[in-house]
Amino acid sequence: MEITRTNITYQKIRSKISPRLALAAGLVALFVAVPLIYIFVRAITAEPEAWTRLFQERIWKLFANTLGLVLAVTAGAMLTGVTMAFLTERTDLPGAKIFRWMLAMPLAIPAYIGGIVHLALLRPRGGVIPKLLEDIFGQPVFTPSPLGFGGAAFILTLFMFPYVYLLSGAAFRTLHASLEEASRVFGRTPLQTLFQVTLPALRPGLTAGALLVALDILAEYGTVALLRYETFSSAIFVQLSGRYDRSAASVLSGILVVLAIGILWSELRLQGRARFTQMESNWRPAPLMMLGKWRIPAFLLVLGVVSASLLLPVGVLLVWSIQASLDPDTMRTLFSTGSQGFGNYIWNSLWSSSMAAFIAVVLSLPVGLLSVRYPNQVTKFISRLCQVGYAIPGVVIALSLVLLVNRFLPFLYATPFVVVIAFVLRHMPQAVRASESALNQLSPSLEEASRVMGRTSFQTLFQVTLPLILPGLLAGGSLVFLTSLKELPATLLLRPAGFDTLAVRVWVWAGEGFYFQAAPAALLLVLVSALPLSFLLRREQIFK
Amino acid sequence: MTTLEVRNLAKRFNGSPNAAVNDISFELSDNEILALVGPSGCGKTTTLRLIAGLERPDAGSIRLNRILVASEAVFVPPEQRGVGMIFQDHALFPHLTVFDNVAFGLSGKTTAEVRTRVGEMLHMVGLLSHSKRYPHELSGGERQRVALARALTPRPVLVLMDEPFSSLDADLRAGVREHVRGILKSMQATVVFVTHDQEEALYMGDRLAVLKKGELEQIGTPEEIFHESNTRFVAEFMGHSDFLKGKVTRDGIQTAIGLVRQIVDLPLSTAVEIAIRADDIDFHVDGSGNALIIDRFFRGAFNLYRLRLDTGQVIHAINPHTNILPVGTRVQAFVSAEHSLTVFTQ
Repeated sequence: MEITRTNITYQKIRSKISPRLALAAGLVALFVAVPLIYIFVRAITAEPEAWTRLFQERIWKLFANTLGLVLAVTAGAMLTGVTMAFLTERTDLPGAKIFRWMLAMPLAIPAYIGGIVHLALLRPRGGVIPKLLEDIFGQPVFTPSPLGFGGAAFILTLFMFPYVYLLSGAAFRTLHASLEEASRVFGRTPLQTLFQVTLPALRPGLTAGALLVALDILAEYGTVALLRYETFSSAIFVQLSGRYDRSAASVLSGILVVLAIGILWSELRLQGRARFTQMESNWRPAPLMMLGKWRIPAFLLVLGVVSASLLLPVGVLLVWSIQASLDPDTMRTLFSTGSQGFGNYIWNSLWSSSMAAFIAVVLSLPVGLLSVRYPNQVTKFISRLCQVGYAIPGVVIALSLVLLVNRFLPFLYATPFVVVIAFVLRHMPQAVRASESALNQLSPSLEEASRVMGRTSFQTLFQVTLPLILPGLLAGGSLVFLTSLKELPATLLLRPAGFDTLAVRVWVWAGEGFYFQAAPAALLLVLVSALPLSFLLRREQIFK
Repeated sequence: MTTLEVRNLAKRFNGSPNAAVNDISFELSDNEILALVGPSGCGKTTTLRLIAGLERPDAGSIRLNRILVASEAVFVPPEQRGVGMIFQDHALFPHLTVFDNVAFGLSGKTTAEVRTRVGEMLHMVGLLSHSKRYPHELSGGERQRVALARALTPRPVLVLMDEPFSSLDADLRAGVREHVRGILKSMQATVVFVTHDQEEALYMGDRLAVLKKGELEQIGTPEEIFHESNTRFVAEFMGHSDFLKGKVTRDGIQTAIGLVRQIVDLPLSTAVEIAIRADDIDFHVDGSGNALIIDRFFRGAFNLYRLRLDTGQVIHAINPHTNILPVGTRVQAFVSAEHSLTVFTQ
């Protein structure tokens, strides 16, 4: 490896940032930003009467409905998530190890599928439980209705709390025992310590989690539509599919996105500062709190949450699926509806979600490389821009793509690729975050060592960087796959005729009241989601 | 022959008011080990990274084997410079075995050639039996040796070492250091070695370059640096010197502990300071002496005493006497050095 005059090339002094990388990241940011900007343009240029009409009658009610639900579910998810995390991580709760998994698994169940099950059980007229009670007591018995605000808040809390559970569980885990010991030595009781030291120390991480839950609720369509509670998302969906009023839909979308971006902005600001706590080399776990006589009530509480969010939905789907398989008529429709069959739904779900995951990860790479290796204001902005997908609900992405594709890329219109593009746009942030965190954990000296030993920057990327961050990229990909699989509103609005995924079929069949027919598809959707989810959970702090 | 030539090198990082490296020049001959030493933030690591091509200089030039590799106008990327480098965290590739790590720098060789060369190097560092292991399965000292083998395998024109022993435990460090210097010398490697540890610099370097705030304070052999410090900073940093105040007289320098018979080329009664180390001062018990013992530190082979002179100045002295003198004993201190001392004007 002698240095001689013949084997060296002088490079022009250039800015440190590689222009190829900056160009790639810039194009990705543009790709992500265009649909967002287009919605604003359409909202602002909508006919003035669309604005006045909406402001006169609907918007205030939608505002109140949406914000009410966001607040209720966020609070509910925080309360449930932190309580569950405290019980499984910090007390001698019986079965804590199994509960840890069961409390995280509802992430594999789309909220609307949970909603379908609870609705079938509790429906005021004809629900399984009211009927059963009426048979027993001989007269109608009051049961809480799952419809409307209360029901929507309850169902969404049940299927959103695992996000908070995982975050707070990890925080409880990594919190240094000496912090609480210090509080005790200074004369605080265990309960005072919990509220004055432990929970405040977890606050930044939990706030970030709460904001992500809030964004998810803003975007939620399936559950609120099912339980007939009107929010911005469902109103936009109705404007788009039923009345086909694109102006009104644009105006509503513009307002919704402004709301969501406000929340996302706070969340991004918390990022990075999200942790007071950290695993130090002298870390040791805090001692478990003895529940004593509260052991049984605590056990029942956790069991209740797990039942409502996991055991009941999966159990009911299982029973329905068995019933469906015993009925030849249902089986026939299941395996061939027109020219399509069950196999097609599975295949469509799998390929569209996998393709979205692959594209999102590939696109996230230049963005991650740029923002991690060359941190400055501009690259940070690009990275944040690529995370706006969090703040653009599925219905809004659908609207934007319908308008954009119709106008500029008509050959793409009514092809499954538009659905894939929607998945990529919506779930890109998860890939960007995964790539950035993987790159952050990679010591730059590894890449430098490779350069010094004669590899170009391109060779270094493929021989050193990519092999080392592969697990992180796979995690990002799994996350995109998982959330794309569950995605409902964008798929419903953008799919070409005959492009049915598992999620779409479950929704359509359940909407028509064919629960037995919907059950096998729903169960399969849950099972397929459970696979990448368990891979992801194994990487989480609390399952190590 | 000159392997490395650094001329007026300068580098300032974005957002920093001070230059990380400011107008540094030096040369390095074949088979020479140069230790760059200085406190943290003195620019030694930046200098190393500039030589490797991991940073671009703002001004100045770097030549390797007389070929210009960096200047205001040109820049050769690191992969074409043909240098070897050992990183502070070793930077072993966790996804490659020991063998593949060491072979990483070899390109354009047949499989047989690679196997022979890597085998040779692993044998030399005593890790041939570990060639199929992964870095996480090695101890700290073993990782250190793999990093050394990896850097030397492609026969680099120059080996750069960035605090390579800092991640090792103190008890391990001395042994590894000896071993590494032996290997470098037997391979006739030309080396730039960065450390913040004076003792390590004195041990490893054929020559030392002392840096302070991005500037080169002094470059020379370990003996020159230690005994003939150019600046007060070098004397203080390299040898834990005390600075004894004095005045120039016709016969030498008059200090609080007597006349130092050393003629200096300064006008009479100039106020000066003499850089003096604990082993240059001795004392004996004397009830009417000029100093008081205020502290004693047991250092194994000897005792280090802290003395307060009647002028109020505090100095250190080594006393080999086996009988221990209690704090508060009055003593007569005097300069016992037989070599000339470094004198600075005040």
